[in-house]
Amino acid sequence: MDQNNSIPPFQGLASPQGAMTPGMPIFSPMMPYGSGLTPQPVQNTNSLSILEEQQRQQQQQQQQAQQAQQANTGPGTSGQTPQLFHSQTVGGSTTTALPGSTSLYATPLTPMTPITPATPASESSGIVPQLQNIVSTVNLGCKLDLKTIALRARNAEYNPKRFAAVIMRIREPRTTALIFSSGKMVCTGAKSEEQSRLAARKYARVVQKLGFPAKFLDFKIQNMVGSCDVKFPIRLEGLVLTHQQFSSYEPELFPGLIYRMIKPRIVLLIFVSGKVVLTGAKVRGEIYEAFENIYPILKGFRKTT
Amino acid sequence: ARATSRALALPRVQCPNHPDALLVEDYRAGDMICPECGLVVGDRVIDVGSEWRTFTNEKAVKDPSRVGDAQNPLLNGGDLTTMISKGTGAASFDEFGNSKYQNRRTMSSSDRAMLNAFKEITTMADRINLPRNIIDRTNNLFKQVYEQKSLKGRANDAIASACLYIACRQEGVPRTFKEICAVSRISKKEIGRCFKLILKALETSVDLITTGDFMSRFCSNLGLPKQVQMAATFIARKAVELDLVPGRSPISVAAAAIYMASQASAEKKTQKEIGDIAGVADVTIRQSYRLIYPRAADLFPPDFKFDTPVDKLPQL
Repeated sequence: MDQNNSIPPFQGLASPQGAMTPGMPIFSPMMPYGSGLTPQPVQNTNSLSILEEQQRQQQQQQQQAQQAQQANTGPGTSGQTPQLFHSQTVGGSTTTALPGSTSLYATPLTPMTPITPATPASESSGIVPQLQNIVSTVNLGCKLDLKTIALRARNAEYNPKRFAAVIMRIREPRTTALIFSSGKMVCTGAKSEEQSRLAARKYARVVQKLGFPAKFLDFKIQNMVGSCDVKFPIRLEGLVLTHQQFSSYEPELFPGLIYRMIKPRIVLLIFVSGKVVLTGAKVRGEIYEAFENIYPILKGFRKTT
Repeated sequence: ARATSRALALPRVQCPNHPDALLVEDYRAGDMICPECGLVVGDRVIDVGSEWRTFTNEKAVKDPSRVGDAQNPLLNGGDLTTMISKGTGAASFDEFGNSKYQNRRTMSSSDRAMLNAFKEITTMADRINLPRNIIDRTNNLFKQVYEQKSLKGRANDAIASACLYIACRQEGVPRTFKEICAVSRISKKEIGRCFKLILKALETSVDLITTGDFMSRFCSNLGLPKQVQMAATFIARKAVELDLVPGRSPISVAAAAIYMASQASAEKKTQKEIGDIAGVADVTIRQSYRLIYPRAADLFPPDFKFDTPVDKLPQL
């Protein structure tokens, strides 16, 4: 469990996603391969020794067994009890764990609370939300002189009258960073967790090369935004009538319906065209889970004409 | 207020022969009479009518009435404090002309902001001629929000404007945000934000707006006859039913429907005029009109008298 949170220092910037967050790949081989960024079950051993990897897989299996005992659910849904465990550590190596099986909430240990939108047991949607933006923060651990950074670094803008931070951009991964004089930095625009971390490391290296003793402390992903398309038009008026306590639909203010899901705590923007934007997640699994929760509800409000 | 002396506590006035009878009060003679037998039970009841009859056209400089305004118990919490008024005679001023007694302390600082807000609400509502019931509802909403203190940091005017918007919606006569903006100094964005926060804080919800809610107001502001208004209502409703305008704001659809109906009648209005009244841009009306134009023949009510036939409607 500790391995999920600690940052192994020997790993380079190009650490494989699977190695960093071994718990994340809960998603089936049905996932679109073309995204290239989908966390797969850990098979690549770029910067880890084989021994380490075997240890980790054993650990995952132990976790699995633990979860299976505790949750007392069938093998197919062993990982899918997000309300009891972090989504990150859910069913790491189970390749058959489909995102859709989170909808099987009717297990006895997972109470059907009224705050969870009721989801009938159905097959998975087969649609996977794509991540569009990741916002992360990191502490460089030393005070910075923004003027020298702005003068000497490339692609940096600094307008202290407008905003008290240097805005720096890099092309690969295409991201923007706000660097504050306290040494804290915000990195936005990456499309995956690994890219965000890589970009943050690159910015830290730029700052380091300018002569500041930059470190890489407390890297944390603060927000993840995903979007997808359910491919059918949606009756927003019906949705706001039945899910009044979660939805807000004001066509005068915004053309989309704002759905605030309680569990997981995600805000979804649902549009008439069928496009859905999910935001507010700290981990990728929350986005997937939220979409799996909302998909059956949206199917119920499909426009028939 | 009628003073019924039938308090729930011990001294209960009742007719000795008919203890269950409800006593009738005769305020002119100051009596309490039993309706069953006519016995005068209580007498010398204090008359609570007004002391003087004041007529509005009298040029009396001072009002002889010795009681103040009607209390507003629902909203102010029953404030019974009194204060000394400024003197009027010559003796109340000292040599420089300043008044001797200077007590201008506020009587109730806790309600000061609320009273100000009520005044502001009344002013805003008067500008768009809103009836008393909406003003009362707005005041109630404001009081609830103010007491809850969850929106304490927001400008009171913003909260008042949002309460006005919610009250209009709750009474079934919604006003658009732009209409509320026109009578308030707060921006539409801020009113929208406060609106959502208030709904959250009071845990209420409002019905969705429909195109028909605005028809009578927009059409009468444009001076369109009833036939055109009914046609426009029908067109807008049909357009939404047939889902010709998915995702469009109901205001824009209503404006486009009014345009189509007015262009088919003798009273033709331009898009700019309709846009001014409805608060939508004329390009927005154009967009929505383009969506409903192909099915124009189906959208008109069957008994509509066309001044301009459907195929001659302007195509933008």
